[in-house]
Amino acid sequence: MKKMNRRNFVKLAAASGAAVVTGAGVTQNALAGSIKLEQGGLDFSPTTGKQRQAIPTACWQCVTRDAMIGYVEDGRLVKLEGHPDSIRTMGKLCAKGQAGVNQVYFPDRILYPMLRVGKRGEHKWKRISWDEALDLVASKLKPLRDAGTPELFMYHYGRHKASQAATMYDFMAAYGTKTIGNHTSVCEAAKWVGQESLWGGMYDNWDYDKTDYVVIFGSNQFETHTNHIPTSQRLIRAMVDRNVPLYVFDVRLTNTAAKANQWVPIKVGHDGLVMLSMCNVIMNEDLYRKDHFKFMRVTENYHDSVDEKIAAVKANVAQYTPEFAEKHSGVPADTIRKIARGFAKADSACLVTYRGTVMHYHGADQERAAMLLSAITNNLDRAGGRVMGVGASWKHPSSPKARIQKGLHIKDGFKGEAAYPTHHVSHQILPMIKDGHEGRPRVYWWSCYNPAFINGDNKETQAIMQDEELMPFLITSTIVYDESSQFADLILPDVTYLERWDWEDMVSANQIAEYYIRQPLIKPLGEARCQGDVWPELAKRIGFELAYSSKEDFVRQSCEMTPGVREAGGFEYMKKHGVWHDPEAEPNYGFYEAKVDVSGDGIILDEKTGVYWDYKKAGVSKSEAESKGYLGVEGAKNAYVAQNIDGTAYRAYPPNTSFTKAGYLDFYSDNFARKGLPTFPTYTPIPEHQDMAEDELHLTTYKVAVHTHSRTAHCKWLTEIKHDNPGWINTITAEKRGIKNGDKIRVFNELGEITTTAYVTEGIYPGVIAISHHLGRRHSGVYGSGQSSPIDGGAAADPDVANIWWKKHGTHPNAIIPNSSDPISGTQRWMDTVVRVAKV
Amino acid sequence: MGTNWKKMKQGAVSRSQIYGLLAAVFREEPNAALVDEFRNPDMLRVFADMDVELGEGFYNAPVSMVAEMLAEEFTRLFIGPGSHISAHESIFAEVDGDSGSLWGTTTVAVKKFIETTGLTYREEYTGIPDHVSVEFEFMQQLTAWEADRWQRKDRAGAQYALRVQQLFLDQHLLPWLPQFCDVVIKRAAVPFYRAMAELSKNYMEFEQQYVTTDAAA
Repeated sequence: MKKMNRRNFVKLAAASGAAVVTGAGVTQNALAGSIKLEQGGLDFSPTTGKQRQAIPTACWQCVTRDAMIGYVEDGRLVKLEGHPDSIRTMGKLCAKGQAGVNQVYFPDRILYPMLRVGKRGEHKWKRISWDEALDLVASKLKPLRDAGTPELFMYHYGRHKASQAATMYDFMAAYGTKTIGNHTSVCEAAKWVGQESLWGGMYDNWDYDKTDYVVIFGSNQFETHTNHIPTSQRLIRAMVDRNVPLYVFDVRLTNTAAKANQWVPIKVGHDGLVMLSMCNVIMNEDLYRKDHFKFMRVTENYHDSVDEKIAAVKANVAQYTPEFAEKHSGVPADTIRKIARGFAKADSACLVTYRGTVMHYHGADQERAAMLLSAITNNLDRAGGRVMGVGASWKHPSSPKARIQKGLHIKDGFKGEAAYPTHHVSHQILPMIKDGHEGRPRVYWWSCYNPAFINGDNKETQAIMQDEELMPFLITSTIVYDESSQFADLILPDVTYLERWDWEDMVSANQIAEYYIRQPLIKPLGEARCQGDVWPELAKRIGFELAYSSKEDFVRQSCEMTPGVREAGGFEYMKKHGVWHDPEAEPNYGFYEAKVDVSGDGIILDEKTGVYWDYKKAGVSKSEAESKGYLGVEGAKNAYVAQNIDGTAYRAYPPNTSFTKAGYLDFYSDNFARKGLPTFPTYTPIPEHQDMAEDELHLTTYKVAVHTHSRTAHCKWLTEIKHDNPGWINTITAEKRGIKNGDKIRVFNELGEITTTAYVTEGIYPGVIAISHHLGRRHSGVYGSGQSSPIDGGAAADPDVANIWWKKHGTHPNAIIPNSSDPISGTQRWMDTVVRVAKV
Repeated sequence: MGTNWKKMKQGAVSRSQIYGLLAAVFREEPNAALVDEFRNPDMLRVFADMDVELGEGFYNAPVSMVAEMLAEEFTRLFIGPGSHISAHESIFAEVDGDSGSLWGTTTVAVKKFIETTGLTYREEYTGIPDHVSVEFEFMQQLTAWEADRWQRKDRAGAQYALRVQQLFLDQHLLPWLPQFCDVVIKRAAVPFYRAMAELSKNYMEFEQQYVTTDAAA
C-alpha cells in the first residue's frame, strides 16, 4: 500500500465522508453527549484520581458461596475479600474466592451470542444479536410446548443454587419440562442418599465450635470442602485454642492429614468397614450412650426396647472386629481401638465423611455407617456433634405453572442401575441419550456445566455431543469456550457471578441461618447476560409470563417477602449490608427431640410403625387409612406428624425426602430390604477390587485448594499456583515398576491411557495412584490449556500470556474412569477404577 | 499570512470523516450499506490510487454474500470464541500482572480521558471502553469539534482541540494501534480486514505528522 499523502488523504476523506453520510458509518455510536472542553468533564479525586466503592456480594467459585466484599475502582473490579459481618465466614475468603477477579477479566471470555456456522466442533462461529439468539431459541422451544411435548427440551445444569436455581426451576415449570439434569451424582449424591435413608434430610454440618474430638474419613477439610471457609477455620481454631484432637483416615497424606494428630493411611474403599469396627469396639466395651437409641430403628420391629436395640446393634457389628478390619483395610487394630475409645469417651465428637468415603460401590451404605457411629455415641444433631445443616429459608415469587408438565426418564440412570437415585444419575444422561430407549431431547441446553469434561469416559461424551442425530440442537450459557461448548449450536454469553443478582442460602457452621445476597459489582462485560434476565425475555417470546421481570426484580421481591429480612429493611438493607441474621437466634440443635401436639383433626396413630400421621392431608378416608396403614398409603410420608416413642410424640426424623419411612433413624431399612440391599450398615467389598492382578492399582482422584472441578482453569492466578497434577504413588509401589520420582508414566486400562509424571512419596497408601481431577484441559482459554481454544496462539497479543512461565497443564484422569454407578444411590464411582501404571 | 479558516476546517472535517469510517469498520460486522459504499466508484478510485486491495471476491460477489462472509471473518478475528484479536488498548498496551488485561488500568485511563472531555458512554454501547472503534470514534468527535472551532474562527479553541488530539494519540492510539494492525494483517483470512488494518496503520503515520504540524501552526 502506498503511503498516505495530502492528495489521497483528501480523496479518502471525501469518500469516507460520503460513506458515513449515506449510512455506512457505525450503526450506533459508543459515545454520547458533546465535547465541552471549555467547561471540563467529570471530576475525579484530586488526590488519588480514583473512585473506589466497596460492595457487599457473594462468591460462587465453589458451592460454599462465601459472603464477601468487592472493591471497584473507576468501574473496574480490583479486589475481593471476605465480608467482615458474615457469621458464616467470619470475614475470611479462600484463594479461589480472591482469584474470582480473574473470572471477569480473562482474554478468552465469551462476550457475545455466537451461532455455529461450520460443522459441529469445527469452531466456526458468527456473532448474532441477543434478539436473534432469543428468537432462535424460542423458535425451537415454542413448537415443542405447543405440541404438548415440553419434555423434549432438556436443561442441564452444574452449579445452580439458591435464586439461580429458583429462577431456572420457575421458568422450567412455567414452560412445562421436567427434563432437568443436575450434576450431583458426580459430586456427592451417595452421601445424601445415605443420610436421607436415615434422618430424612441431608447436608450435615459439624459443630467444631463446641466439639471435643474430630475424626475425618476421606475429606480434605483444610484444603477443599463444600463448606470450606466456614468449617475449616473453626476446626483449626478448635485444635489450636482447645487442643481438640483430629484423626484423619485417608489414602493420601492430605494437607488436612498433615495437620492432624495422626494420619491413618487406609486402603481404598474401606472407610465404612473401619467405622463399623469402631462401632464394634464401642458396643463391646459398653462405651455407647443410650440417649439416641430410642430414636433408632435397628431391627424389623418398630417397637424394640432400648436394650433390645443395643443387643441388635452389637450383633450386627460383631463380625467387624478390629482384627477383621485390619486385615481388609490395612488400619492397625490398635489404632481402631484407640480412636474408637477416644471418640466415644469425648463429651462430644464430630465424624466427618466426604467423597473419599462415599464415591464408591455402596458408597451410600458407608455414609450410613458414619451415621451409626455418630448415633450410638449420641453425637447426632447435638452441640459438638454431627448436626443437620441450617441455612436461610427465602421466600420468593412463583410463576404460573404450565398445564402440561412432562419429563423424559433419562435422569435416573439405566433401568435397574440405581435403587434410590434421589439426586439423579447425571453422568449417565448423555449415554442414555445415545441409547435412546427413553427418548431423546430435541433441544439440550446446559449451563455452568461442562459434561464433556467432568463426567467419566469424557471422550465418549464428546462424541455424543458432536452427533447431530443424537442431539439435534445444543445451546449453552457459558463464559468460556470449553470442552463442551465447542459442540454447541448456539452459545449464549453468561455473566460471571460478579455481574449478577442472587439471594444465597448456604448452611452456617454455627447453626444460625445467614441470609445474604449477591449483587453486581460491575456492569456485565460485552453483551453477557444473566440467565435470570434471559428467562422473562424468552418466556414472552414463547407466549407466557413470569412473576418477575429480571433477576434483580426476583431478588428484590424475595427480600420483601422473606420474614426477618423484610423487617430488617428488605432489599435496600441487603444491598447496603449484604448479610443478615436474626440477632436473637440461638444455634439450632436437637430438632428430633421437639414434642409435637397430635390432637389435631385427622391425625391418627399407625400402630405398626408408631407414626402419627394426618390421613386427611394424605387424601384418604379414615377407614382406608386404618386398613392400609401409614406405609400402605402412597404419599403418606408427606402427612407425617410425629413418632410415638414410649408414649411421647416426638418430631423425631421425618421422611422429608423421597424415602418413605417412619420417624426413626432407619438403621434397619425396609427400603433397602425391598431392593435387596443391606438392611443394616454393612461392609460390602468393591467388586472391581477383588482378585486384582499383581500389577494393578487403585486410581483415586482428589481436589486441590485452588481449583474447582472445571470452572477455574482460566483463572490465571490459580493456574499459576496449580497447573500440573502428577500421579501420587507410594515408594514401594513405584519401586516395583522401576519408577522414580519425576519419571514420565503411563496410566492405563481398557478405556484408554493418560500420561503424567510420578510423584513418588510415602504419603500415599501402597497400591494406589492418585491424580487430581481439575487439569488436563483441552480448552478453557490460554491460561487453562496453554492454548487459546480452539487453536494455538493464545488470546492474541495479550501480553500477560508471555508471562506464563509454566509449561505443564496437567492431565485429566476422567478419560480412563468409566461412568459407573453405586447401585444404591447412583453416584459416580470415582474411586473404584482399576488401572495399570508403567514408566514411559 | 492570515489563517485559511476554511482550509483548516476542511482538514479537520476530512480527518473526522476518515476516523468515522475506521470506527465503522472495526465496531461491528459490516452491513450491506457499508459494503456498497466500499464498492462505489469514488472509493474504488482512491483505493486504486493507494493500492488498497480488497480482493476480487469483494467486488464481484453479491453484497449480501460479502457481508455474510465478512461477518464470519469479523467474528473469527475479533470476537472468538478462541483465538481472536482482542481489539482493546489494554490488551496491547499493558502487562499489569494484576487482575487482568481485559478491562485493565489502561481501559480506565481511556474512559477517563474520554469522559473528561464531556462525552459519556451510551447505555446501549455493550463493548469495552477502550475498543479500537471507540478510540477512532473519539478522534472523530474531537476532530469534528476542532472543525467547528475553525468554523467559528476560534483559533485558541481549535488549537486546544489539536493539543487534546495529540495527547490522546500520543498516550493512547499511537502506542498500540500499529501493533494491533500488524496482528490483524498477519491473521486476516480475507483481504478486506488486512487492507483496513494496513490503511489504519498508514493513516496513523499520517496523523502523527498532521497533528504535530497543524497543532504547531
